Amino acid sequence: MPIHSLMFGWEYPPMNLGGLGVACRGIVRGLTGNGVKITLVLPSSGAQENGVEIISTDNPLIKTFRVKSMMSPYDNMKDYALRATSNPRKFAQMYGSDLQDAVEWFSDSGLELAKKADPDVIHCHDWMTYPAGMLASKYCKKPLVAHIHATEMDRTNFQPDQWIYDTELGGFRSADSIIAVSNYTKDILVSHYGIPSDKIKVVHNGSDGIKHNPIKAGPIERKNPLVLFLGRLTIQKGPAQFLEMAAKVNEIDPKVMFIIAGDGNMTGELMTKACELGLSRNVIFAGRVSSSEAHHLYSHADCFVMSSLSEPFGLVALEAVEHGVPVILTKQSGASEVVNHAFKIDYWDTEKMADCVLTILKDKRLSKQLKSRAFKDIRHLTWENQAAKIKSIYENLIYSMKSSD
Amino acid sequence: MNNPSPPSVCFYFQVHQPYRLRDMRITDIGRGKPNYFDCEKNEEIFRKVARKCYLPANKLMKELLMSYPDFSVSYSLSGIFIEQCKKYGTDVLESFVELAKTGKAEFLAETYYHSLSSLKSIEEFCEQVSLHAEEINNIFGQTPKVFRNTELIYSNELAQIARLMGFKGILAEGADSILKGRSPNNPFAVPEFTMPKQITRIIETKRPLSKEADDITVLLKNYKLSDDVAFRFSDKSWIGFPLTAETFTDWLMEGGGRNVNLFMDYETFGEHQWEDTGIFEFLRSLPAVWKSLGISALTPSEVIEKWKEERDVFDSHSVISWADTERDLSAWQENLIQRSSLDDLYSLESAIKETGNGELIELWRLLQISDHFYYMCTKYFSDGDVHKYFNPYESPYEAYRRYSHALHDIKERLNSFRPSQCQDNL
Repeated sequence: MPIHSLMFGWEYPPMNLGGLGVACRGIVRGLTGNGVKITLVLPSSGAQENGVEIISTDNPLIKTFRVKSMMSPYDNMKDYALRATSNPRKFAQMYGSDLQDAVEWFSDSGLELAKKADPDVIHCHDWMTYPAGMLASKYCKKPLVAHIHATEMDRTNFQPDQWIYDTELGGFRSADSIIAVSNYTKDILVSHYGIPSDKIKVVHNGSDGIKHNPIKAGPIERKNPLVLFLGRLTIQKGPAQFLEMAAKVNEIDPKVMFIIAGDGNMTGELMTKACELGLSRNVIFAGRVSSSEAHHLYSHADCFVMSSLSEPFGLVALEAVEHGVPVILTKQSGASEVVNHAFKIDYWDTEKMADCVLTILKDKRLSKQLKSRAFKDIRHLTWENQAAKIKSIYENLIYSMKSSD
Repeated sequence: MNNPSPPSVCFYFQVHQPYRLRDMRITDIGRGKPNYFDCEKNEEIFRKVARKCYLPANKLMKELLMSYPDFSVSYSLSGIFIEQCKKYGTDVLESFVELAKTGKAEFLAETYYHSLSSLKSIEEFCEQVSLHAEEINNIFGQTPKVFRNTELIYSNELAQIARLMGFKGILAEGADSILKGRSPNNPFAVPEFTMPKQITRIIETKRPLSKEADDITVLLKNYKLSDDVAFRFSDKSWIGFPLTAETFTDWLMEGGGRNVNLFMDYETFGEHQWEDTGIFEFLRSLPAVWKSLGISALTPSEVIEKWKEERDVFDSHSVISWADTERDLSAWQENLIQRSSLDDLYSLESAIKETGNGELIELWRLLQISDHFYYMCTKYFSDGDVHKYFNPYESPYEAYRRYSHALHDIKERLNSFRPSQCQDNL
């Protein structure tokens, strides 16, 4: 009998909405590749009204349910409320007029599914799904795995919403095992949530393997070097620091172009700031990009900068490396634990960030080495390998629960 | 059964401190004369190591040399180290002079800048060895007779070059790949061959000693016993822990041979192995144990004199060193940025020397210190962390960033000396 995991996760986003949906898909595929059976429950704005929709896939190990919900990854109270008011009133009344209600609705729907599922283990991803996981685990009397992809601390630059923090904490405490996406995140759980470190296992994110040759594609002749940012334009991702760096690079080499791909609540202020810094000709705001557009951007970038203030992992860094782009990462990131061949700087040191960018741009041999060696760094990080580690966490939990019966 | 006489022991300690680079920025390049080096940090580290190692170790060594007639030692002090003594610690230099005065401490020759010049330029190499020999003579009143190259980098060719320079002995790693089962505990001869004329001519004009030596002996490091002290001494998971002078001497006797070479960094005493590990007590008790067993500790010159006959040949076609488990050049030459920086640096040689500008030449030579390249090594990402322990920078790429800025700056300075020629590509 295969292990059966009841998983409360997130949909793969049609547009690049951040790593959570991407990671969930990778984990699900990786787990089924390791022979784990999964009942997947997803909050979805696209689901049919009145509840729950079964999605058929061609993978016999996966059974997917979509639960109608207006929740979206990385939500906070304000963003959710804004979205709720833009929807018909009856939706909001039904699926949650505020984020608390929405989480509750999702948890209750999840419990109904759990009653029929008979899982061996329950696995949930980030705080919005923790209450669902806790309810299901309690009802089924099966171990709970809380996967943490990003904490409220990361999202808010350590100024958390108290309710969200408490919900996270509740999930961490109820969980029989916690999976953190990096040692960086594990440390935050220990120091800011008081979680004992032996309860937390680190499983770094993986990547879907190399579909693209790391050698640059595209015949386009460019005169200007290109530096890329890709991420949500929120405080967590450090787009303001990226702009400060751009201004410093611009002073020395005005040929360098910067592309900021992504959107978020800082878009307006960043555009203003770019103009104030005199960068209107050098910075392009590309908006939210699809994965094929992202692929295109990576293919033409000479350097990728992940300037996050606090980044639990940073899948974009892996994507950049896969595309053969030299990367500069902040030390405050999980990706810096797995990508050795990169410049690593503190997010506040935008001067050094600029110096690293300029060094990479002018030095072909350095750039060549960073590309080829970083690529080797991450070869072993496939979702299948990483999911095998998750599977063994499942097995330990199931075994110890059986032996304590 | 015969009871053969016990082997002698030869201690050689390497004494070196690099100049670490400042956190230079691209904006510093070509803007006047930025200092490449982090003087504050260099002084701080020098004083720390002086306090923990050089001063207490020299004090102990002097006691031992005075108390035990059959106990001698040898040192190699890089020119860069001596410079730092003059700047940051005349007390340290004074304590080495005291050791020299006992007449039982031999000082060896090396490249003044602790450089990789032997791999890149015979001319520069000869000049640096001559500079060093001169300095040793000035300070210690003895002319070096035995040569040790940076990090024991060695090959057949290098041994011949050292002989032509006038040295009667050279040190090398007892690399398994070349010993092929033979013991390192015997002095070895080197294969004879004729060097190309253009090389011998350069050596003749630039050699540190007045004439070439007829013969040269190679002394091989017994890396097992040396590393027991240098690396494993305080390792609690090691089967030999805690190591006593008696046990160590037993191992030494078991190995047999004529002479056991214990070569290590001097910083082993008090810096790599802290005082509280008992390393000084260990060192203190060795001569007494050796005396009771009739083991004498000789200088390299004494060993060479004693065993001139009956030598096997140590045939090292490839280049070996004492670095890492590979014992090759990979610590400095493993990756592209290391190789290209080294190539770039030496490609400037003739242009730099043509300027005749002492300051510029000196700066160029300071960029030759082998540690700069060692810090760019990325091997430790996958195996071992010795590089990480010794790296003053956060990463090999940080080491490279600083170095590359300095290298670009020196190119700009060079260009300012020859405005008629077109600029070097940056």
